[in-house]
Amino acid sequence: MPRRKRRLASRIRNYVRSLLAFLFSNVGVVVLVVAYTIAGAFMFQAIEGASEIERVNNMARERDSTAQYLWQNVTLTFNLFNETALKESINIELKSYQGKIVKAVRRGWDGGRSSRQWSFSSAFLYSLTVITTIGYGHLSPRTSWGKIMTVFYALLGMPLFLLYLSNVGELLASWFKCIYALVCLCRGCPGFSRRRVVHIRTIQYETSEAESIERPREWRECIDSDVTPDYRIPPYAPDPRRAYLRSVSMPQPYSPRCRPEVRGWSEPVHHDSPALSDFSYVTFDAQSITVPISVCVAFMVGYIMFGSMIFGLWEKWDQLDGAYFCFISLSSIGFGDFVPGERVYTPRIETSFIVCSLYLMLGMALVAMCFNLMQEQVIHYYAGLKRALRRICRCKR
Amino acid sequence: MERHYNHSSIHGSYRSRDSTSTTESDPREKIKDCLRKFIAFMFTQVGVGALVVCYAILGAASFMHIEKDSPDEQLENVHQWRQTCVEELWNITTKYNVLNHSAWMLNSNSVLKVFQNNITGAIHLGYNGRASEDIWSFPAALMYSLSVFTMIGYGNVVPKTVWGKIGTIAYACFGIPIYVLYFCNMGKVLAKTFKWLYITAHECSRRDDTLLEDGEIQPIKRKITVPSTACLWVISFYILTGTIMFGAWEKWNYLDSTYFCVISLCKIGFGDFVPGANIADSAEGSHLKLVINFIYVLLGMGLVAMCYNLMCEDVRVKVRELRQDLKNCLDDITLKITVCMNDTKYYHQKQTRNIK
Repeated sequence: MPRRKRRLASRIRNYVRSLLAFLFSNVGVVVLVVAYTIAGAFMFQAIEGASEIERVNNMARERDSTAQYLWQNVTLTFNLFNETALKESINIELKSYQGKIVKAVRRGWDGGRSSRQWSFSSAFLYSLTVITTIGYGHLSPRTSWGKIMTVFYALLGMPLFLLYLSNVGELLASWFKCIYALVCLCRGCPGFSRRRVVHIRTIQYETSEAESIERPREWRECIDSDVTPDYRIPPYAPDPRRAYLRSVSMPQPYSPRCRPEVRGWSEPVHHDSPALSDFSYVTFDAQSITVPISVCVAFMVGYIMFGSMIFGLWEKWDQLDGAYFCFISLSSIGFGDFVPGERVYTPRIETSFIVCSLYLMLGMALVAMCFNLMQEQVIHYYAGLKRALRRICRCKR
Repeated sequence: MERHYNHSSIHGSYRSRDSTSTTESDPREKIKDCLRKFIAFMFTQVGVGALVVCYAILGAASFMHIEKDSPDEQLENVHQWRQTCVEELWNITTKYNVLNHSAWMLNSNSVLKVFQNNITGAIHLGYNGRASEDIWSFPAALMYSLSVFTMIGYGNVVPKTVWGKIGTIAYACFGIPIYVLYFCNMGKVLAKTFKWLYITAHECSRRDDTLLEDGEIQPIKRKITVPSTACLWVISFYILTGTIMFGAWEKWNYLDSTYFCVISLCKIGFGDFVPGANIADSAEGSHLKLVINFIYVLLGMGLVAMCYNLMCEDVRVKVRELRQDLKNCLDDITLKITVCMNDTKYYHQKQTRNIK
């Protein structure tokens, strides 16, 4: 009886622990962020939606009063005969009216072209810009309750989004590393395998780099391939392994190297175990390799280009404007001079907001991923540089 | 991280002193030493702060240069629209006489509506009633470059030309790392200073108690971390200062200026409230305000970094304590349950024995 009770308690504890782990895992954090944003969208829509209709009515009254004033003070006082004086005074009156329009648009009136500014999707984008600290400012709260709620929403939402960024960035970084390793293996580029081998070797053995440079190329590769795998190759079969690696490092442009395990199955038996071990070696190694900075930068540039293409199609922006918008958004600057769905008033506006928010959420995570990878690479470079410097100094002195 | 940094800096200074004392005659060593000192200074707080300010000034000058002579077609357009509107109103007045009030009203209203729509479109394209020379004054450009590399992005001033956009992208690429360096450095230094202040105050207030209790210095043994509430107090005091300052200058009400301060310090930067962006305001007053806003935001970012630093530490300690507490609590509960179960078991056994 007590044992069962204790088991129940431990089971409950396990449940709670797994629930917490799930909540703070990647899926849970994504769901949490999305739910928080949706809740914010509903809240801001409820708060701000009411005051918006009032503002539109205000503007119509303003126009009426301007026409009335023109009639009363201009047309009736100056007669039809004095054209220049009349035009002069109309011009002055129109200028003040123009100033009023500028002020009204600044306060969030958009000319009555779209029916509702605070629709659900735009409120969603608004809450997303708050918690990501982009802050376009194309929509901003006008009521005092909206302002207060925005402040608290931001204070609560920003740590949540940071959590999302760190979690998802880490996950994406590990995935990207796997993909990078696999793709490089697929192409069978010898530079990659050599770099990997050199990387492993520098961790394992503190052999100097100058020594390895002095050697001839084939000899070095041969020795490299000999040195690294010995901790997992059974010592009784070194020769097929070396032959296999030499065949890999040889230039074979049309060999089917996309799937090493498939190739391993089709090969004779004595090649089977090295191929399998090679694959497992790479998957094991995938987390310890570092992705070069240039790949990360190229990836981010590609993502921005992709975004500029999408928004160019969608919003009729030219290429530079699209790229500018994507960069300003992803670096969380967010000027708000270009916002999707701001200029073209179409029924697609709702979907365009949603597409924009998806693009932003994914893009922020990708930026975090790239930072993760680049940080690793920089630390790696730094360590290498330090070692090299130390070696040089020792050489000199 | 911090410890590592300390260690390396101490090590570096020690080494530099050593090298100067041993090989004073060698000019190459001297140059090397100077270079080392210079780099160390550049990465200290003063150096990084100066770097940030210099970078902002450089950016302001270049953006001003790029954007100042951009032809503003919106200004021309607005002028054109107003002229046509006047013309049409004149036509209406000649067509319908002074006597036909309602028809005149109807027609002029429709003309005004066209005018209004045109202007709204122009404003969405970036027209705000000022020529580009007025917009891109030096303080405004300074504020613009600040808003780029701190990632605030107010958006009240935006580049219109192609080269301005490209320059903004490049400027952000280099500026954001510099700013992050400033953020980290400033946060570290301010956190250290604040911690030192807090601990001295803590000890001063605590000494009397310990003297009264007994001579032992009990509380110093526990590692003192600055509580989060202290950080929050500092930040809210800073925001309050900003609130009163901007409220007095810009004639905003207190809610609006608090909102502005929080939105700025959180790097959201909607740009619906920006100091010195009032159209009706004179140019001279707005320049000073922009410079002061620049200093306010830059200092505030440092304070936020400090609080982030301190609160991270505090939260880490709190989480550890909480975990320990939870563990103890769970252990207690399991112990109690087992004891209870054992009691009932004894009771059952006793009962069965009694029945037997």
